[in-house]
Amino acid sequence: MTGTSSPRARLRRLLLSAPLLAAAAAAAAAETPGTVKVGVVLPLSGANAKFGATSRNGIELALQGINAAGGIKGLGGARLELVYADVPTPNAAGSAVQRLVMQDKVVGVIGSFVSSITIAGSEVTERAGVPWITHAFSDKITGRGYRNIFQITPPGSVFGETQFGFALELLDRPEAPVEKVAILYEDTAYGTSQAAGLRAAAEAAGVEVVVDEAYPLGITDVTPLVNRLRAAAPDLVFPVSYLNDSLMIIRGMRQQGLDMPTIGGAAGYVIPDFQRGLGDLAEGVFSISPTNYDLVPEEAEAYFDTYGEFMTQEAQSYAAALELMADAISDAGTTDPQAIRDEIAANDYCEGFVAGMPGGCPEFDGTGLNVKAVPVFVQWQGEDLVTVYPPELARGPAELGE
Amino acid sequence: MKRDLTFILCALAVLAAAGLALDPGGYAMRILCLVFLTAAMAQSWNIMGGLAAQISLGHAAFFGIGAYASTILQVEAGLSPWIGMWIGMVLAVAAAMLLALPTVRLRGHYLALATLAFAEACRVIANSIGITGGPQGISVPYMGNSPAMMQFSQSGGYLPVIGALFALVFGLFALISRSRLGYMLRAIRENEDAAELSGVSAVRVKIAGFAISAALSALCGTVFAQFMYFFDPDSIFSPLSISVRMALVAIIGGLATLSGPLWGAVVLVVLEETARSRFSALPPGVTPLLVGSLLIATVLWRPAGIVSLLPAPGGVRPGWLKWRKRNA
Amino acid sequence: MLPELLQFLQAVLDGLLLGGVYGVIAIGLTLIFGTLNVVNFAQAEFTMIGMYVAWFLWHALGIDPLLGAVISFAAGFALGAAVEASLIRPVMKSTGAAQIFLTVGLMMVLENGALLLFGSDYRSVLTPYQTTAYRLGPLFVSAPYLYAFVAALLGAGLMWLVMMRSWLGRAIRATAQDRMAAELSGINTRLVHMAAFGIGTGMSAFGGGVILPYSSVSPTAGAQYVVIMFLVVVLGGLGNAAGALAGGLAAGVIQSLSGLYAPIQMQNLTLFVLFLALLYFRPNGLLGGKRA
Repeated sequence: MTGTSSPRARLRRLLLSAPLLAAAAAAAAAETPGTVKVGVVLPLSGANAKFGATSRNGIELALQGINAAGGIKGLGGARLELVYADVPTPNAAGSAVQRLVMQDKVVGVIGSFVSSITIAGSEVTERAGVPWITHAFSDKITGRGYRNIFQITPPGSVFGETQFGFALELLDRPEAPVEKVAILYEDTAYGTSQAAGLRAAAEAAGVEVVVDEAYPLGITDVTPLVNRLRAAAPDLVFPVSYLNDSLMIIRGMRQQGLDMPTIGGAAGYVIPDFQRGLGDLAEGVFSISPTNYDLVPEEAEAYFDTYGEFMTQEAQSYAAALELMADAISDAGTTDPQAIRDEIAANDYCEGFVAGMPGGCPEFDGTGLNVKAVPVFVQWQGEDLVTVYPPELARGPAELGE
Repeated sequence: MKRDLTFILCALAVLAAAGLALDPGGYAMRILCLVFLTAAMAQSWNIMGGLAAQISLGHAAFFGIGAYASTILQVEAGLSPWIGMWIGMVLAVAAAMLLALPTVRLRGHYLALATLAFAEACRVIANSIGITGGPQGISVPYMGNSPAMMQFSQSGGYLPVIGALFALVFGLFALISRSRLGYMLRAIRENEDAAELSGVSAVRVKIAGFAISAALSALCGTVFAQFMYFFDPDSIFSPLSISVRMALVAIIGGLATLSGPLWGAVVLVVLEETARSRFSALPPGVTPLLVGSLLIATVLWRPAGIVSLLPAPGGVRPGWLKWRKRNA
Repeated sequence: MLPELLQFLQAVLDGLLLGGVYGVIAIGLTLIFGTLNVVNFAQAEFTMIGMYVAWFLWHALGIDPLLGAVISFAAGFALGAAVEASLIRPVMKSTGAAQIFLTVGLMMVLENGALLLFGSDYRSVLTPYQTTAYRLGPLFVSAPYLYAFVAALLGAGLMWLVMMRSWLGRAIRATAQDRMAAELSGINTRLVHMAAFGIGTGMSAFGGGVILPYSSVSPTAGAQYVVIMFLVVVLGGLGNAAGALAGGLAAGVIQSLSGLYAPIQMQNLTLFVLFLALLYFRPNGLLGGKRA
């Protein structure tokens, strides 16, 4: 029987006595077969395949770094090995995660870019007692109060609040006061989470929300949205969406001569395809982002050299997630998932990709939320995405136009 | 009738034997559960899609209504899914009646597309109202092991529930198939106008068939929700991964046959899972490509489904042996 | 003019421009149904393929997608004809269910084949008119939508000419009406089926080319058109080409007006509900058509 109680009991024993812990660690290290497996759950086919692919690029880069630096030191230099599961929809998540945990015996899981897939998959790891580190945005991920899930990004609502706060601090100036704003978002877990944060922040700041529209995922025509923008004439526009809609919204706005500052909600607004699709129209568009590649110049260069495009925020965040996981395995000195879980919860790692996380080294609260996570404000300047706010993290000045 | 009973009992015996042999928290156990759950879903669809050839591409609507009804009642009122599932079934029947208004006179492709639109409408509604949790989806509250709340921490716990669901759906199908209703459904399949002339009220028969099919789909939806612990509108009302899949499994196995949906489920689920675990290192897209190719190959090679591979009388046995080997 | 009236006119105009494109994408589906009596669930994937063809032509040779769409048509035609000969022909005598699931399988193969071939990147084109809008008095007319609309109507018109005036068109119509009779009068109905299927998939691919300037393509680009394409075709009456165009325009206007008076999130719900209501009153679609 592999019930959840037995690893927990084992864990309690381990924690109670330090000498016993050391002995167990040594024993585990001695019997380590030389590799330790981590599961990677990503949408590699289907509608979000692009984001899955870039996440994987980042993870592979981090993996090379870890193994080149001597593998998992706490396990006698065991090589870290990844087992991928392509999970395009939540319905497929349960079986894939069960396979990773029970058949491939992974000691932890990282993924998945999409919130709903993360929620569905982590139901299985929660019951199996295996830790999962995610970079998905939904508030629900850590809102469930689970023990084995860790969210390294701010949840969507905080994300939305910060998106609004930063925008106001940077763009509300005497010559261009911000009195009315528009919120456009796709009706997905990510879109609605973030819109809720934007809405709350606008209300708190006493700024009027003149357009507040959800639209269906896969919308084929955004003209109705743009018409509403034109009629309401907001001072700022906050669109939250994946790529196709973001291109249509920006083009539609420019067609009708709407050039108020636009502050995207990460996802589609901070990937190279955005600038490739819009060309000069991308210039000056802002976005909130969990992190940005100019915060980790060395890793960003290695990524660029390997993949030929800049490192996206999800690539960077998932690389950081793998490093956190690897360090926790090393610190635990055992392949017992619950011991690894406790090491993640008490994270002390702050190098490599993790050093580039804007809020500083991750610290997780009881629900697994990284309380130190803060997003950054980025702006398209040429083919580059430049961190422009907050001042302590900015790598360049914001171009405010006019 | 006796052969039908033998088949169902044999299937249950295999289920029980495998259930005892397998690790309750293991991957194989989950696959076993999924095979029988998928078979039950496909069989619910088979009542109308197979017996009466009324191809619905919108059964996700009933499935999702069942899942939402029991889960919302549990989240909001603490009601056990054992009770909630009945309410889900009632609501699904009501939805089927509502859908029947514009569709009962439709035929062939018009019916397929109208039902597709209905399920899509359900998806949009679930996405935009609050009680469903909207696009954030809805989680079954964590209860650990709680048979009273139809929740178990390991797949193995669900096996008796899924076994019972399987027995119920397959048993009902066998009964209907040989009842007056079954003959009338087949009459509609062969020639609706002729059936009308010989005194069959096509409208009433279709409504009855749809109601039963919808109720059973809703029941599957409740069990699916408990088994998955989480779902959202896009996944539970999915045209491809629920509606089409229910039909697909029945067609791969053999339309209008009792055993077809089980064979279809065995082949499709096992193939998918094998491909996913074997080819996870290959470029993404290979697995769905293979599944699509299999589908094409099945239709081209055996339009009547896998069942047609089995020798007709007493022909279940060699198939069984093969099946057990695969799952051992 | 009253602002409400202006908004209404603007929404109708936007809806018509969008609907023309729905129409041309759906016209292929309805042609295939009308001639072969097959519902092709993989139809939207040909739109995706048409988008890729137009994108590569733009990327490699700088050809504007509106012109590239002609090559998209050719590619869609060739691929469609090959699919008909190898996959559809063997199941012509099978049940509707077998045909539906054959094409569902084809849909999965095409989508994931594109993923394997082209990767998951979102590709879009840069053209000067993408940010242009014409002013029609107080109304805005988006240039890329207008051009797509005009191209779609030209494409549909050309197809109509072929269907009405050419030998091939007559043969297709004869075969659609009565295959046996067509065969007896010396028409090679196998060839006709192949041509009709090819023209059908070609038209959807053509539609993919013309929408590329305001859209972007990835392996799942077809998926967002699947449901709408079927609604449009049924709205117009399965197998009715003029109906598909009318259905497309109707769907575009319904979506657009719904976006004006209700939350935009509800635009498809409005469409689905009206669709089901229409079937209640007219079980054979807007323009009637033969009994399915």
